[in-house]
Amino acid sequence: MAVSEQNNQTMIEIDRVQKAFGSHRVLKGISFKVKAGERLGLIGPSGCGKSTLLKMITNLLMPDSGTVTVHSEDVGLVFQGSALLNSLTVRENLALALRRRKLSKKDEESIIQEKLSFVGLSDFINAYPTQLSGGQQKRTSFARAIVNDPKIILYDEPTTGLDPVMSTIIEDYMIKLGEESNAAAIVVTHQYSTWTRTAERILLMHDGNAVWEGTPEEALKSDNPYMRQFAHGYREGPMLEGMI
Amino acid sequence: MIGQVIIIWFKAVTCMIQGKIDWREAFRQCYLIGNQSFIIVSLTALFVGFAMSLQISRELVAFGGDTAIGGVVSLALVREMGPITAGVMLAGRVGSAIAAELTTMMITEQIDALKVMRVDPIEFLVVPRYIAGLFMMPVLSVYAMTVGLVASIWIAQLAANLPPATFLDSVKQTILDRDFGVHFTKAIINATLVIMFSCAVGLNTRGGAEDVGLATTRAIVWIMTTIFIFNYVVTSLTYAPR
Repeated sequence: MAVSEQNNQTMIEIDRVQKAFGSHRVLKGISFKVKAGERLGLIGPSGCGKSTLLKMITNLLMPDSGTVTVHSEDVGLVFQGSALLNSLTVRENLALALRRRKLSKKDEESIIQEKLSFVGLSDFINAYPTQLSGGQQKRTSFARAIVNDPKIILYDEPTTGLDPVMSTIIEDYMIKLGEESNAAAIVVTHQYSTWTRTAERILLMHDGNAVWEGTPEEALKSDNPYMRQFAHGYREGPMLEGMI
Repeated sequence: MIGQVIIIWFKAVTCMIQGKIDWREAFRQCYLIGNQSFIIVSLTALFVGFAMSLQISRELVAFGGDTAIGGVVSLALVREMGPITAGVMLAGRVGSAIAAELTTMMITEQIDALKVMRVDPIEFLVVPRYIAGLFMMPVLSVYAMTVGLVASIWIAQLAANLPPATFLDSVKQTILDRDFGVHFTKAIINATLVIMFSCAVGLNTRGGAEDVGLATTRAIVWIMTTIFIFNYVVTSLTYAPR
């Protein structure tokens, strides 16, 4: 992956990326760009390659062909399962993300307090992840992802498994963060409320390709058979052909 | 697996040479290893000492070699049984725990989270455990040897009516400084095998809950097998007739 510190508008460039796991081709030449300050919703059925793309952007996976260019090293990722280190407290989880900056204890504490306050978890600073609810874990993961004020923030199913109220709270944080920072964001999600509320632009993926692109408003009115089926949750349509 | 172990060991040693050591975590791991292994090492060493002393006393008394009991028992304990007992117990108690913990961290994406935060999993997870293993294994090994020796003295007195002073005289005449060198060498090798195999298995396993159990079993099998192989290699390099 090429990483450059250019200060241009485009922060993430995915160019004809292909990836296979064994004989299963997950990505089949997908391309798109994400600009600074933009929130792209990456939506589609399970197994269409959304999370694989996030792993490539964070350098956890390499593409078989094509290029993934990330124009910043400051990348934050909110994991689907929170991925908090269970042996560390909430404070220590955030401090770990700050470690490479070699800050003074005072500065480190100040940043941790600020980020936990942003997600409303200041009272849980000394709690262990296993002492937190699913929603609190997700909010801690969110705080950890933004603790270094990343220029790119990736959300992998940020509201999956949460109740509607907690989903709305997380979505509000995402919108608020988008308004307060100029970070480029990719939101991978199935949740209707999440992609309609948080994304400014939608990319619908199916079978390793992008099959539709537009705004959430356009998505709801689209005649594209894939988008119509996904947006309205219809059983009939091209999306599940050969799958059920 | 062996290739992965060599790569992880090389990276861990490089981190240690570069001074990238989280001493606080290393001390915590020392406490965990000691705390987890102390009772089980005590019990196994005690009964190994009992059994060896009983067998050897019985045979040597029959040939009138009572005064050699201490020497023979201590040779076995210092050269072979001390390091092996501690190594095998540490494999079962600590190696399995590390393999299960790291596999769970892999499956729940905690290792991926470390990489995204640009925290090196080798430096953060492997190095403190390796430092703790290198320190605690010789300690436990010497402790196992001592417990075994005390147990042997007691049984020799009961079974062969051998006074402790006679037993210890025989020990002093038989054990050489070199034997302690071999003892520590084996302990260091066992620590490396326990920590590196358990970490390599943990950091290279993917899947679900079932894989945690399979990974733990795989780690234990590799560690136990290699402990016995390396034990023989060190013994043959040191004590084989020339």
